[in-house]
Amino acid sequence: MRLDYPIHETTLGNGLRVVVSPDTSVPTVTVNLWVNVGSRHEVAGRTGFAHLFEHLMFQGSRNVASGEHFTRLMAEGGRLNATTWFDRTNYFETVPKGAYELALWMEADRHGHLLDAVTQENLDNQRDVVKEEKRQRYDNVPYGKALMEVYAAVFPAGHPYHHPTIGSMEDLDAASLEDVRAFFRRYYGPNNTVLTLVGDLTADEGFAAAERYFGWLPASAEPSRPNLSQLPPLSHPVLVDRPGNVPNDRLHIAFRLPVDNTPDFFAAALAVDALGGLSTSRLVQRLVRREQVANAVQANAMGFVDGVSLGFFVVDVADGQDPARLEAAVVEELHRFISEGPTDVELESALAQSERSWLSALAGQEERADLISQHVLLHSDPQFVNTFLDRIGAVSAEAVKAAAARWLHPDTRAVVRHLVAEQENAA
Amino acid sequence: MSASPSTAPARPAVQPPGPWSFPTPTRHTLSNGVELVLYDIPGQYVVSVRTTLPFPLTVEPRRVEGVATIMARMLDEGTAEHSPEEFAELLERKGIAFGASVTDAGLAVDLDVPKRRLPEALDLLRQTLSAPVFPQPEVDRHLKTRLAEIEQERALAPQRAAREFIATLYDGEDRASRPTGGAAGTVSAISRQDIVDFHAARVGPRDMTAVVAGDLAGLDVVDLADRALGTWESSSQRPAPESQAGRVAADAARVVLVDRPGSVQTEVLVGCVGPDRRVQATWAAFPVLGFMVGGSPNARIDAVLREEKGYTYGIRSAFRPRRVGGLFLTSGSVRAESTVESVQLLLQILESGREGFAEEEVRAGVDFISKTAPGRFATADAVADEAASLALEGLTTEFTTATLEAMRGLDPQALVDAYRQWVTGQWTVVVVGDTGLYAGGLQELGIGPATVVPA
Repeated sequence: MRLDYPIHETTLGNGLRVVVSPDTSVPTVTVNLWVNVGSRHEVAGRTGFAHLFEHLMFQGSRNVASGEHFTRLMAEGGRLNATTWFDRTNYFETVPKGAYELALWMEADRHGHLLDAVTQENLDNQRDVVKEEKRQRYDNVPYGKALMEVYAAVFPAGHPYHHPTIGSMEDLDAASLEDVRAFFRRYYGPNNTVLTLVGDLTADEGFAAAERYFGWLPASAEPSRPNLSQLPPLSHPVLVDRPGNVPNDRLHIAFRLPVDNTPDFFAAALAVDALGGLSTSRLVQRLVRREQVANAVQANAMGFVDGVSLGFFVVDVADGQDPARLEAAVVEELHRFISEGPTDVELESALAQSERSWLSALAGQEERADLISQHVLLHSDPQFVNTFLDRIGAVSAEAVKAAAARWLHPDTRAVVRHLVAEQENAA
Repeated sequence: MSASPSTAPARPAVQPPGPWSFPTPTRHTLSNGVELVLYDIPGQYVVSVRTTLPFPLTVEPRRVEGVATIMARMLDEGTAEHSPEEFAELLERKGIAFGASVTDAGLAVDLDVPKRRLPEALDLLRQTLSAPVFPQPEVDRHLKTRLAEIEQERALAPQRAAREFIATLYDGEDRASRPTGGAAGTVSAISRQDIVDFHAARVGPRDMTAVVAGDLAGLDVVDLADRALGTWESSSQRPAPESQAGRVAADAARVVLVDRPGSVQTEVLVGCVGPDRRVQATWAAFPVLGFMVGGSPNARIDAVLREEKGYTYGIRSAFRPRRVGGLFLTSGSVRAESTVESVQLLLQILESGREGFAEEEVRAGVDFISKTAPGRFATADAVADEAASLALEGLTTEFTTATLEAMRGLDPQALVDAYRQWVTGQWTVVVVGDTGLYAGGLQELGIGPATVVPA
């Protein structure tokens, strides 16, 4: 099913890649920037830095006061934020059309001249905020560190995905103003950035505005390194036990997958869905519905670019059930899937749900812009939003079976078990 | 393309926003009385369907509270025509996302589906509403799942705080003081027959609203809906009683400390009663008040607690309307060592609203809420959600349009009047964390005696 969102693209003289996708249904414009820097670029001793840096982008730049990015654009009817992930950092706002040039001007100011405004005080303050973010989202939450354990178990030490984007408290403490300056000079600049504009404007208007506000910035970022080559599956099973204060046992069963935006990744992702991502998936049918030994089963395939992606199943163990028995059942179902492949209904269902969730993702300008930026920055593929459904629709049952055999073999699994800590018996 | 400019351009002026209005629906009444509300939104290829049925939670028998939630979660677990697994397969093969939930206002059954599958989706929706069979093995599973969920909620600080908050603010005899989905004792007491009886008595076409939003071109949705939902009759559905505002406890204004030794953060929840959307003056003031006090990183609370002090990732304030009555809630996590100072600052900032809001602050708040509306209501699911949540409160999206218009006329006096009407300095304060770190310090703040309860 090919979609037809309009895509117009150009590259400015300074290397900024610009995409404009007109959509006059709402009188707003989404401004979305992806910078090719994420936690995968961090060095030992400075984990969490890309994300801390992103916070500093809201603390003022050459002509913008600290906090003004939020206050000014929100007061104009803007909804905005930024996020950092393994592969990239994104900055985005959706504003009434009459404010989109202001948004571009403010973005250019911080993407070009952040360092004029960075202070030790701002760094210290945002370091504290980020540490509270880490406590809130990871440290003070049951199972909050589960995915960190998964990354560390699945990806080898020193690999870009071995450590989580939020980083460690020690490394956050170690971040200095000099780190901020060096990071900005190395990674930030139009030649390492994609700008996508979606909304009530023409391609010509969008290109002219991009030129006006970003065209004068120099191509200041250093050339990006090539992506790492594909990692093979784990050579043997890995088991990590984390007893703790959790309400019930929970298993994360994880695998290395092929890099994103490849036929192999799409096939592996469909296998993950068929196994655990649907209410009719085998693992759900067996463990949740029939045997009722799990409260829930979920599955996820996260696409990355640096030589590997991640697939995992989450099994919430029902009260009184043996986690080892559940893990054995998952292993059994993986073997069965590898030998039989998906049924027609499993493949049809996984594709049907992918279609709906893809159309839902594209329904709003914000997410559409974000998906366009993603695929231009990381895959040089501006038409991805229009071609994705055709591409996954072309994946055969045989390819899904082969991908499972290669990437979801139980001997290549990493299992992280959060287990209810044994109560100490009172005397 | 012209040559690249060599110098920085001047800060551009902002042009006023163009005209926009909330999508206008067409309204129809199906053969059995179900109200059908259609929003045709070109380009929205996933169609959102929302059905709502208002009833107060007091219709649940006290012994089996949570039965409405369990009933809702089981609507797609097998119907007269299909086994649970068959039904799940039908939903998945058509790419339908299905969900059902219960709030203080009633039942909501939702689905999202690619446009071309809408006719089949409506037929499946009919089956879930009119002919669920609640098989015993699925009942057992859903009860077990809800009991596990209660334990998960206990382990999560924000949920634990919310549970303690309603138990403190509302009179213990009032349904509003207890969890919507039931507590362990009442959930354990639910039988299949309780669920069957609840469905028979409470779910039917009477008072039901069905909202359909999306790109409806080429579809005769009225005919499709009438064939799917319009033929459904129920001889057992009873009229729902009127909702009442939750009765506030005589000792609601107090401090409760939920003790979680070892917590590296403290969850703080401060609140009092607030208005519902039918509030006399105008509802329009309240979203703006929530924004000015705690709606952004530079709102009054986070300007201090986040951007100045670095004690929190973010604290949010909002007026939360219920079908009748409402709440004004402020909540977030702070560094454990900063708990005493954070609570003190938080209460001071909340009080400061009674002294008024600056013209610029008001303008920014009004502009944020009103000028973000076109983007917030740009997708089919957002329009359908708004229409459905209003339908549960007996309102239509004309209310949304009128509120946005009224908002543009608000001035500082109207806002301080609205704030003072509800914020009187009488707070229910719940603090979840390592009590040993701050119980004494909180006592010294003079915010009243504190009760310590176990996690």
